[in-house]
Parts: sequence; structure tokens; C-alpha cells
Amino acid sequence: MTVKGVSEIFGRVLQVGDVEAESDFFTLGGDSLLATRVLSAVARDYGVELSFDEFAIAPTPAALAERIASLR
Amino acid sequence: MSRVVVVGAGLAGLTAATDLSRAGVEVTVLEARDRVGGRTHGIEVAPGAWIDGGAAYLGNRHTELAKTIADLGLKTVRTTMVGHSRFVLGRDRVTREGRFPPLSAVALGDLFDHLDDLAHRVHRDAPWRSDVADDETAAEWAQRILKHPDARAFFPLFLGEMMATDPADVSVLHMAFYLSSGGGLRYLNAFEGGAQDSRIDGGAHQLCQRLADRLGPDVVHLNTAVHTIEQTPRSAAVYSATGMHTCDAVVVAVPPALADEILLRNIAPARRTTARTAPGRAVKVHLIYPEPLWREQGLSGWSVNSNGPLMSTVDDSPAGARAGVLTGFVTGREATRYAALSPAEQRCEAVTQAAEVFPGLPEPTGFRVSNWVRERYSRGCYAALFGPGDWKLLGPHLTAPHGRVHWAGAETSTEYFGLMEGAIRSGHRAAAEVLAHRQPLPW
Repeated sequence: MTVKGVSEIFGRVLQVGDVEAESDFFTLGGDSLLATRVLSAVARDYGVELSFDEFAIAPTPAALAERIASLR
Repeated sequence: MSRVVVVGAGLAGLTAATDLSRAGVEVTVLEARDRVGGRTHGIEVAPGAWIDGGAAYLGNRHTELAKTIADLGLKTVRTTMVGHSRFVLGRDRVTREGRFPPLSAVALGDLFDHLDDLAHRVHRDAPWRSDVADDETAAEWAQRILKHPDARAFFPLFLGEMMATDPADVSVLHMAFYLSSGGGLRYLNAFEGGAQDSRIDGGAHQLCQRLADRLGPDVVHLNTAVHTIEQTPRSAAVYSATGMHTCDAVVVAVPPALADEILLRNIAPARRTTARTAPGRAVKVHLIYPEPLWREQGLSGWSVNSNGPLMSTVDDSPAGARAGVLTGFVTGREATRYAALSPAEQRCEAVTQAAEVFPGLPEPTGFRVSNWVRERYSRGCYAALFGPGDWKLLGPHLTAPHGRVHWAGAETSTEYFGLMEGAIRSGHRAAAEVLAHRQPLPW
């Protein structure tokens, strides 16, 4: 569930379709500025505030969803 | 249309002059300074090694600039940023990978979400028709919208770096317009793949030098400040201290504040600035070393600092690295203060801060300041800052010819406003206007 939601956030922020669970945000064209916009959306949608470093270690929807689930 | 006078030998003016000359028009370019180039300016830091004291960066969307670069036989070099960044925000000095500051990512993401939303609400071709407040300053907007202290702290730094403004200078509309015009938040902010992707090998000043060289020695007149333009039903006359040039049309290609200094006779003047229009607040400081010493410590030279004068620094070493150049950007309110210091004070403050940000950095072997705030014939840099109400008042006639007088310059282009790309596009546009009016004369 969260994986799908995070994939949608990736897609919206990066303006690309076809984001998969294992897609790497930076490989898809993301940079640090856009990463913060993923994190603000995650905070709004899931009530979880992640740091930039936490995101950089796990920049895929699957890894991020796991991180979100562990903190909720 | 056989004779045209172009006022201003920056990128806009020389682009217009080149187009007109190629179309068979007899062109004269009048330039107030003792050099061409406008807000591009080369500084030689070691024999044959040049850096940019003014406009420097470009990206792949700057398509007209790319054509000019290719046409003039120039090359670009990528802006490389290898190593860690330094952040001195408040008391702590933090070293980390990438350009992301040690602040709340969620808070900055919220800020960028707001800015992106504003940029998307801008009417690109007619910004004054946008659904964005033109009566509120960006400072007031931030006060109202931004709640997190990290977002509030970062916002002026971001805006200073991006558009050389203090948030109190510009309307929310101008901020949103600038972001939209430059290709959006991400594009404008990015080095790799963005608006700072590359520089011109050997310096951006070569653009104007080569354009002027091609036009020929009799075309560009230096040290010729225009004070009056007069027009009659049959012709126009352009006056400087040293003489008068009659012509069929005039292209005024200078920043808005300077255009307003020129007296337009026999025609109802429409001002190009208001009391709320501010000069772009940027001073570029160059600390010159025998080599890029910070690289030995694994540092990129990039830093962001909450205290001035150097709000940010970047490694500006010329390709081939015959010198190490750390360029500091003094922007926003800090630029106004710093610009007024004596040269000795400017040097002392910059060298002291550089040694705090990059401990172990020795006294530089050279020090240069490009003080655009005090530059008589630029009146600020990167570009004029439109304050509250300005877009509604000035926007609709930004490009509208006044009889025989046409307008060019980086501030007349709604695409890439204030950038080299915008200047070149405005030059092409003004030349095309003049040529379209050739025969029969519509006035």
C-alpha cells in the first residue's frame, strides 16, 4: 500500500510515469531539491518526517515504504 | 530602413546589431563603457587563464546562447563539483556530501512545494495576468506562509543565490515569474543538468568581444554614453556627449534603470522602472590561489553561509587549473552593505571568512571584486528586481516600441529573464521588429 503511494509521489515530483518499487530516485533524474519535495509529501501523507540522509540511503519506493512503516 | 543605432554593447545589443548587419542594415553601436560585454566581464587570473566576473553559467535549455557560442567558435566546459560541501549556518560548521544543507528536509520540501506552485501559476507570456499576488513582497509572503524556522532561515539564502535579491525587494509575482521564466525551480537551482551546467571555456566575455570584432571596428563606439533620443516623422537622432547620430530606428539595449536615464524627446515617455524597482544585489568576489587548495581536503569549494559577506562560494578555477579560484557570491541585503566598503575592508572581510569556512586556506595571492551594485553602467546584477506593483505597471509595455525606439535587454525577455539567454533572445526579437517595420514605415 505504502509502496504504491510512495511510487506515486516519486512520479509526481519527477514528472515521470512507470515508477517501480525498486526504482532509484536519483537514477530517475531526482536531485536533492526534488528529494525534499518527496519528503514533504511523505510527511503530509504518512505523518512521518524523514531526514535527507535517511532518504539518500534508501531512495526507492520499497525501501522508503519500509522505513515509513517502521516509524509509524 | 537603412540605418539603425543600437544603444548598449552587451549581449542583447550586439545580438541585435549582428542580425541587423546581416540583413544589410547600416548599424552603429554606442557603448557608454570603455569595453563591450555589459554584465559579462572577463578577469585574467593567470597568464591566459580567465574567469567570469559577471554572468557565467548556462544550461542545455539556453538554446539561442548555444547557437551563438557555436557560431562564434567558442566551447563550453562542464561545471564540476567533486567533493564535500561546507555549510556554516549559525554557529556550526558542517561538512557533507552534495549541496543539501543540514536543515529539515521536510521544511525545505514544503518551501519548494510552495515556490513550485507559485511558478506554475505564472502566465508565461504575460506575467502581469498571472494569478499571483503582485502587491505583496516575497518577505511578507514568507512571513505569512513559512512556519518552520529552517524554511525561514533558508529562504533568503536561496532567493539571494538564485536571483540576487533580498526577499523584501521583490513582489511574490516577480519571484514566481523569475522561477518560471528560468525553467522552473529545479532547473534554475541545478548545476548538473540545470542552468549552471556549464561555463564558456575562457570566459563569457568572449561572446561580446567576438560579436563586436565581427561587426568591425567602425561599428562599435566605446566611451559614448547616450543621453537623449529625439524622433521626428522621418528619422531619429541619438545624442551623446561626443556627437549625434541620425538613423531610421533605435534599439535601446540597456538595463531598465539606465534606459530611464535617457531622455526621449517628442514622444510620451513610458517609464521602465518605478520607485519600487531595485537593482540586482550581487557582488562577486574572487579569491585567487596558485591551485584549488580545498580539493586536497576533499572539498568542492561549494559552501553556503548564513552570515556574510560570502553567502555562498564555488570553485571557479579555470579549466586546466593554472590557478585556483574560489568565487564568493555576496547577495541580497548583504551586497548593499558590502558594496559600500573600502577595497581594504572588502578584502579583509572576504579573506577572513574564507579562512573560517575552509580552515587552512592561506592568504590568497590575488583578490578581485566585481562590484555590480556600484557599476555605473549596469546598475546591479543579475537583473533588475521588480517590486510590488511593477509587473502590472511595467509588464504590458516591456517590449512595445515607442515609435522608432525599440527595446532589448535581459529584462525585456519573458523567457530566461535576466540571463544571457534572455538577453540574446531579446536582441533577436528587437532586430526582427526593426526589420519588419522596414517598408513601408507604419508611423
